[in-house]
Amino acid sequence: MQLESLYIPVLTTIKSIVRENEVNDIKTFEYVFNNEEDYKKFDYIAGQFAELSVFGVGECPLGIASSPTEIGSIKFTVKKAGEVTTALHNLEVGDIVGIRGPLGNGWPVEEMKGKNIVIIGGGFAFSTLRSLTIFMLHEDNRKNYGEITVIYGNRESGEVLYRDVLGEWEKRDDINVVLTIDREQEGWTRKVGFVAPIVKEVSPSPENAVAIVCGPPIMIKTTIDVLKELKFSDEQILLSLEMRMKCGIGKCGRCNVGNKFVCLDGPVFSQAELNKLPKEY
Amino acid sequence: MIQKMISKDAISNLIKELQKEVKVFGPVKEEGGVLFKEIKDAKEICLDYSNSKIPPKNVLFPMIDILFSYEKEGKGVKIIENPPYEKTVILGIRPCDSMGFSLFKNFFSFGKYKDPNVLNRLKNITLIGMGCLEPRTSCFCTSVNGGPFNKESVDILITEFKDDYYLESSTDKGEALIKKIKSLTEADKGDLAKIEKLQKDIESAIPVIEGLDSIHTKLDGLFDHPMWKMESQGCLGCGTCTYLCPTCHCFDVLDENKQDGSGRRIRIWDTCQFPLFTLETSGHNPRTTKLPRVRQRIYHKFNYYPKNYNIIGCVGCGRCIINCPVNSDIRNIFTSVENISSKTEV
Repeated sequence: MQLESLYIPVLTTIKSIVRENEVNDIKTFEYVFNNEEDYKKFDYIAGQFAELSVFGVGECPLGIASSPTEIGSIKFTVKKAGEVTTALHNLEVGDIVGIRGPLGNGWPVEEMKGKNIVIIGGGFAFSTLRSLTIFMLHEDNRKNYGEITVIYGNRESGEVLYRDVLGEWEKRDDINVVLTIDREQEGWTRKVGFVAPIVKEVSPSPENAVAIVCGPPIMIKTTIDVLKELKFSDEQILLSLEMRMKCGIGKCGRCNVGNKFVCLDGPVFSQAELNKLPKEY
Repeated sequence: MIQKMISKDAISNLIKELQKEVKVFGPVKEEGGVLFKEIKDAKEICLDYSNSKIPPKNVLFPMIDILFSYEKEGKGVKIIENPPYEKTVILGIRPCDSMGFSLFKNFFSFGKYKDPNVLNRLKNITLIGMGCLEPRTSCFCTSVNGGPFNKESVDILITEFKDDYYLESSTDKGEALIKKIKSLTEADKGDLAKIEKLQKDIESAIPVIEGLDSIHTKLDGLFDHPMWKMESQGCLGCGTCTYLCPTCHCFDVLDENKQDGSGRRIRIWDTCQFPLFTLETSGHNPRTTKLPRVRQRIYHKFNYYPKNYNIIGCVGCGRCIINCPVNSDIRNIFTSVENISSKTEV
């Protein structure tokens, strides 16, 4: 990002809004940059985030849900939870939203090359995992990665995000998709159970593998316990942390874990890196 | 380095000369103490003071700083950037507070992202520091790489000597400014020697706190130590220590609107001592109690700053010691850390 526009968002327009869950508190917004130059400068990798502005209300940090291989627009999945996300949910196609980004370090897609990738997501934390999976599955990139396994759990079937892409992935033979919901539900024919025991059941091999875990704290904890049982090392486990953020560029001081800023040095950290930091997150 | 003198009576002439070209900020007597404000009438300045309650960081990093303004036109938004900053001289800043400016420069220019507001202001600010003839009992600048006559972070340093002010330039900017000022006279060589001795004597009289240069390594092992329960017990969480600190720079960002839909995005001083600082929308708060918040302030200044930037994030001005409503003294924490570390070594 250029110096002068560090705090100044660029303008984008809402192109489409997709309702993601039954209770309609999660929507995926598609944004097109008003200025083509701004889109060219928005050079992002999967796992990064951006600060979305509703002018007059404020900003909030959101993981980028689209993959850089999806050309022409960018997508964010927003859960209605606070002031800014509620304001975002009240917007319509054609409304203007400001964007500052891309921010953060993103998934280490270069270092992950040549490895088997195990993606484990829970609930609506799947945004950047969608970005990562679509990126890896793209014809230019697929050959760079080994086996890809996606394990995605939700409380109930109405909460499952990105049904269209999940459906496409299930049809492919170069990715293993395991979907699960917490309890039996009529019409659900796939797995039933919390994410951690399903991971145990799938039993991915730690051999030359990287495990990526995103979800609510309890899911992360139980999943990591299982991964350790399966002999994954701390360096092989990657997480994306979330903290209250304001500036998104490591200057306002509020998102630090130890001497690292989650917005700047993260949000992606390996378990090994987190072990060196105080448990204040 | 250029060395000049000006009589105390003539200081208003100096200010008037400066005001022809730049804005001048300096200490002004207000009810309850001294504040750094823009000097309109040269007579307003009060150079006979120990230190201001609120540090002059407000000139560099205002309490309310506009990031940008915006206007709404139908569905459209127009963004309006800030006008350029005006050239400013801060006259009478203490060396600890100017060291604070150096820390600000370091932090806001560190790494990938460089803060435009702070750095543009800094480019346009000249610092004329005022050495301290009477350091307070709460001062410990010499223990954190500073000193009452430290010239490193100012452009010109003033030392009061009898009825005069002695000026020495410390940077090219300072030298250029001194050359321009007409109301200065040559310094007497005999006086220069006396002034140098005076400065050294005052500096060595300040009690030194041992061990601050290695405190960051000692803190590494103490994050979960029970000492923090004791240290945070009396804290009210009022945030005074952080608001009055010349090195604290945490901020919040808000949008302010007018009725017509126009508005501005501002940043305002914030403090890690308030519970809302880290409160997430989900309701989760990594620092729910006073203990982690009190600990965060100490670690930020004495462990994270050294780890990230190789400097201590404290200038020893003592404002937190003087103004804390429950008399919490940061030097007691240094002592506790020192004692606990030496016990574990044995």
